[in-house]
Amino acid sequence: MSKTKAQQPAVIHKVIMVGSGGVGKSALTLQFMYDEFVEDYEPTKADSYRKKVVLDGEEVQIDILDTAGQEDYAAIRDNYFRSGEGFLCVFSIREQESFQATQDFREQILRVKNDENIPFLLVGNMVDLADQRQVSVEEATRRAQEWKVNYVETSAKTRANVDKVFYDLLRLIGKYKLTPAGRKALSQNAANLPSETTGCSCVLM
Amino acid sequence: MAPKNPPPLVTGVSPKEGPPGTRITIRGEHFGDDPRDLIGLKICGMDCLLSAEWKSSSKIIARTGPGKGKGDIIPITRYGGKGSCTVGFRGYFLQTGPLQESAVWIDESQTVRPNLDHGRPTAAMTAKEEEDPLGILDEGDKAKLSEEELLDLFQDASGSMSLENFSPGWYLMEHHQNASFEDLKAGLNYMKRKASQRSEGPITIVRSNLTSILDCLESLSAMYEKYTEDDIRGNCMNSYAVLLMQAKSCADGLFQEVLGRKDKADSTRNALSVLQKFRFLFHLPLNIQRNIQKGDYNMVINDYEKAKNLFADTEIKVFKKVFREVEWRIANFRDMLYKRLKDPQNTLDEQKKLIRYLVSLEYKGDPAWECLDNQQKWLIELLDDCKDDHIEEEKNSIQESLAQSQSSNQWKPIGRVNKSPTKSGLSRESSFSSLSSADHQASWKFKTPQKVLFIEDITDIMLQHFPDYWRLGQSYFTREKTEKGVKIDTSKHGKMKQMMAEVITLFANYVRAAFLPESLENLPDVEREKLGVWPTSAKQEHVSGSWLPTCVRNIRNCANTLSALDSHGDSSMIVLNELAFDMRTNCMFTLLKQAISDVKCLHTKETWVVETDDESGGTTQLPALFENIVNETVQHLHEVVVMNRAPEPEIFSQRPIQKEATVLCSQLLQAFSVCMEQLVFTPPLQKTEAKPNVKITLGQLDVELDQHEDSIPSLDKRLIIMLSNCSHTQFVVVPRIIENLTKHGYVEMEKALKAAQHTYSDLDSRLFTSYIEQKSDPILGVMEHNMYKGSFSWKTWKNTTEVRNYLKEIIMSLIEVHAEVYSISPKFVMRVMKKITEAVSEELSRLIECVQDFNAGGAIQARLELEALQNTVRIYSTPHVQACFKAAFDCIPELSDEGKEVVSKLLDKFRSRMKIQLMCFQQEMFTSTVKKANLTDSLC
Repeated sequence: MSKTKAQQPAVIHKVIMVGSGGVGKSALTLQFMYDEFVEDYEPTKADSYRKKVVLDGEEVQIDILDTAGQEDYAAIRDNYFRSGEGFLCVFSIREQESFQATQDFREQILRVKNDENIPFLLVGNMVDLADQRQVSVEEATRRAQEWKVNYVETSAKTRANVDKVFYDLLRLIGKYKLTPAGRKALSQNAANLPSETTGCSCVLM
Repeated sequence: MAPKNPPPLVTGVSPKEGPPGTRITIRGEHFGDDPRDLIGLKICGMDCLLSAEWKSSSKIIARTGPGKGKGDIIPITRYGGKGSCTVGFRGYFLQTGPLQESAVWIDESQTVRPNLDHGRPTAAMTAKEEEDPLGILDEGDKAKLSEEELLDLFQDASGSMSLENFSPGWYLMEHHQNASFEDLKAGLNYMKRKASQRSEGPITIVRSNLTSILDCLESLSAMYEKYTEDDIRGNCMNSYAVLLMQAKSCADGLFQEVLGRKDKADSTRNALSVLQKFRFLFHLPLNIQRNIQKGDYNMVINDYEKAKNLFADTEIKVFKKVFREVEWRIANFRDMLYKRLKDPQNTLDEQKKLIRYLVSLEYKGDPAWECLDNQQKWLIELLDDCKDDHIEEEKNSIQESLAQSQSSNQWKPIGRVNKSPTKSGLSRESSFSSLSSADHQASWKFKTPQKVLFIEDITDIMLQHFPDYWRLGQSYFTREKTEKGVKIDTSKHGKMKQMMAEVITLFANYVRAAFLPESLENLPDVEREKLGVWPTSAKQEHVSGSWLPTCVRNIRNCANTLSALDSHGDSSMIVLNELAFDMRTNCMFTLLKQAISDVKCLHTKETWVVETDDESGGTTQLPALFENIVNETVQHLHEVVVMNRAPEPEIFSQRPIQKEATVLCSQLLQAFSVCMEQLVFTPPLQKTEAKPNVKITLGQLDVELDQHEDSIPSLDKRLIIMLSNCSHTQFVVVPRIIENLTKHGYVEMEKALKAAQHTYSDLDSRLFTSYIEQKSDPILGVMEHNMYKGSFSWKTWKNTTEVRNYLKEIIMSLIEVHAEVYSISPKFVMRVMKKITEAVSEELSRLIECVQDFNAGGAIQARLELEALQNTVRIYSTPHVQACFKAAFDCIPELSDEGKEVVSKLLDKFRSRMKIQLMCFQQEMFTSTVKKANLTDSLC
């Protein structure tokens, strides 16, 4: 692994996009990253993006991991989640099922991260197709309140609130990293990673 | 190259990991403005420029190379130089292990074992997950019970899930001492969910951790070996060994299924590779069927040949089985081909092809021969059917027409209107003698006679199918000759010829049965029966002469075409040529006979309208009609009978035919004389009227006949007309006809001419005699009576004042005859007048000679009258006439001078008185020349 990058900003915030298949995670990401809207649907496996953004006058790097929504990849999700620092949990307001699935994602994230205060945003996408809405704002807001997170409605197509969700999350991550829990999680994460690969086999036997 | 632009920067990759060949989308900035700007792309250190697809300055799509592990994505642009990236790509080798289900066949030529060395993330993950089956993370590691304490609490138990004496209590106490009951409950639910998610249970664990387990097992056995070598604590080792064995057998049991599956997979793989290798054979049955359906028979045969070479002697069961199927299909195919071959509708080429196929498929027997055989049978059948059909038709229509003519025993005008399409009038005339049959025949002519249809059909069949058959036969032998190694069956040559001959003979016989039944008389009855007996309905022939040429033409065409097939002049063709020849002669004879009968019936045509021209004198149209009939017949015959084509024999080359033809020709020529005679002596009116009057009720014909009656002249008139006709025929028409006939190739016409001339002379003399009789009888009959009228006596006659009336009457009668003859034919005047003058002078001299005694006055009177007559008929005088007059003069006593003077005076008086009448005789030549001059003048 050769790191040839010249000047690396000190702070990298790792954002993970979660949510069912086809809700628009990649669309949101691409819109945020490159201001483009991709019409055709191609299931994502795991995409990685990183760019510099200026957040409240401070230059930070945002690293986005766009994950697969399909159940086929559920097994590898844990691995990804582990490295995430903030989560955008996306569902489609046109699809009740995708909204219900956020529950599972939330649970899985909490289990992996083991912290209720992990930076997390509930995102209702495809608000440009509001006439096909199946998930009401109230319903979503209620769940967000339940989880003590914010709910934002976006449209990857019209770019409505796209920047907002990412910047909001970046701020949350920035704040979280200053809290003791966040620091601990960071250090634990750093400590856990090497320990994963060693010694576990012995325990199993 | 000086980079002016900022270097490219990769900020996004989709997906971020994958096996070699993964199609990835690389996003970022400054990738250039043009596909050509991208001059390099490295993914994980591997150059991937070839697969790179420049989409835009911010997007490239590429396929990853065989780079392994995490690496950078570095694009290089022409103006930006080497780029950098903020994201990387992780390449890994996707391995489908022996225990994973896969939709595609994986090349497992490498053994499974080395693959196990590569770690798989899933394995590690599962192992880690099992660390926390309840999904409740420990809240720190404070206040954990020590192992000893737990051992105290749970004796003979263990907290390790992998051990047999696992105790859940121990586990919970060890790991979740501080968890609340709710947490534990939630943990239980989580565990249940997990369990349901992976229902496979422990095997899954083992599977996903196979590598480690195997490693363990290996190290354990290594340990065991080490220990046994050292043999430090032998008794300890025993239980260890037992455990090890147990573990092994347990593992064996665990993996028995898997190993079994692997074996199966191996064998399947083997089978597949065999299938692949010998795909040709295994696909063959299907291919054969498909190709047969497609009609690609060559392909089938080639495939089969190939398969036969490769697998015919195979010992392998599967091949044998498949090959058996192939053979079975080929056998079917063969049968199919054979069946198709039997279908005689095939064209020649098709048949040849089929035969070739069959031969190359090693058909047992001789397909070509069978085909020939079959074809022959079929041909014969075809001919048979044709014949039967037509005979049936014929019978039906005969019955129909019979019923028709019986039911309506009346004259049908429509029957008369129908005419033969080829010859109008003539053939109708021929049938005129019998009205019922005319009716019948008319219905026959209304449609084409069945026999003609038959001949057309049967020749069609022959022309259509026989040439193919013949060529097939020829090619059968030539093929056998050209193909090496194939025996040439010479016996078949003969047989072939025989078969051909059979067909041809049959054909010929069928035709003969229809048209020349007499020619088959030497065949036994049974055989003739087979050839078809054509019903003979009425007394007259079915096929009128007008149709015969058509038939002959058909047959000749057929014969010619078929003969052309065989340039060597095979014997079988002789039959055909004979048939054609017979048909021709038959046609000729029939036509000639018909012409004769037509001519004989000509008398009904006579209209008695005399047309005069100076060459032939006065004639009716009859001789012209006669000539027409003959010429038309000759024309018909010329086209079909006499005109020879190259291979055909001259029709007159055979003596009997020549003879008969000549006889017929002369008969034809002479027939007209009969007709004329009939006309004169038995007027056609009485004859025709006699019969029709019985039957005819309709007015039309009656009127017609009445008109005939009106126009029919008296016997003497008829005589003189016919006389004229006869001479015209004899001297003008007949020579012309003869010339025509000779021109058309008829031989020995001189004989016919002679005979005809003879006949006509005969007729002429007969007619002449009777005409003279007719004319002179009335004159002579009244002569004596008139001479002695008014009790005249030569002895007592005194006063000779003039020529007496009786002589004048004679002269008047002569003038009358002269006029009559002249009106018909001036040519005959001299001839007739001479004869009559002879008769008159004879009678007169007889009368004078009978006078016993003349007185002077009587002598003067007699001399005066004799001289008057003699002078009058001088131009017609013959030696006989002169002799008669001399005898008469001798009887009269010599006159005195005075008497002579009186006579000459009275004679002058007679002449001047009868001047106009006498002019008829005296100026005969003159008037005729004047007439002639006038005629030519008017003509000019």
